[in-house]
Amino acid sequence: MHIPDGFIPLEQCVIYYIIVIIIGYFAVRWAKNNLDERQIPLLSVLGAGVFAIMALNIPIPWGTSGHMIGSPIVSILLGSPYAGVLVMTVVLIIQSLAFGDGGVTVLGANIFNMGIIGSFVGFYLFKGLKPFIHATPAVFIGSFLAIFIAAIACAVELAIAGIFPLEDGLIFMGIYHAVIGLVGEGVISTVVYIAINNVRPDLISKGCLDSNEN
Amino acid sequence: MKTNDKKLLLYSIVIVVIIAILAPFLASTNPDGLESTAKKLNPEALESEHAFQSLIPDYEIPGLSKGNPLSGVIAILIGVIVVFVIAYGIGYIFKKK
Repeated sequence: MHIPDGFIPLEQCVIYYIIVIIIGYFAVRWAKNNLDERQIPLLSVLGAGVFAIMALNIPIPWGTSGHMIGSPIVSILLGSPYAGVLVMTVVLIIQSLAFGDGGVTVLGANIFNMGIIGSFVGFYLFKGLKPFIHATPAVFIGSFLAIFIAAIACAVELAIAGIFPLEDGLIFMGIYHAVIGLVGEGVISTVVYIAINNVRPDLISKGCLDSNEN
Repeated sequence: MKTNDKKLLLYSIVIVVIIAILAPFLASTNPDGLESTAKKLNPEALESEHAFQSLIPDYEIPGLSKGNPLSGVIAILIGVIVVFVIAYGIGYIFKKK
């Protein structure tokens, strides 16, 4: 879902950069108030893991492939969408500057879609579903819908940029990422959640499990 | 750091390194969802140039032949290490005082 350079006019790129800087400010503020020293290794290893797994494109039908974005599960495990934003911002900057994966001018838009939308949708769906269903399906549904909605946002942005017609863009981006969300994001996030919950449930942040966070 | 924290960190690093090594062999080379959509709806857009020359374009290490999976392994391992170090640094700088 990495938008390349040249897809979004520069004046629109600026808007996404501004949104990212504002959310980035709140993410840093979240870290200063909430990021426990003991969570730093988990945060770093999740970042490294997200980078590695994003290189693993899963084949889907129609001669297409896709990879997970990872921000929903990072946010769920660390107990805040801002954790997902911080990790994804690092990953996306390295992918863009070091490997040319995603453009530099559109970096703001890519962080907005995969970092901000992925984190907030995944985290709040998980948190909202948690009182009603078991945590495991809540992780699956949250992560699946997070990548799907990020793709929908991407299609809308590219329609505003005049690159894709809105309706066709929504249909193709939506269908491809719904499949990637089911077989990639949803399944892998659920496996990661179950694995960590089995070996070290104490590391999963309680931030999203009780009502009085912060 | 407690011993069981160290153990978990070590195990997770091993898993991440295994993923990094396997990814170039297992990853599908088909275009991703966005690229596929662009191919159908606006193929000319894909010809746009990079605005910035990245250090290791397309995960191909300079000097290694194109399509050599070793290139991808090295590139992804470099990325994994860089992301780990920067994320650790950011966590350390902005952690709760």
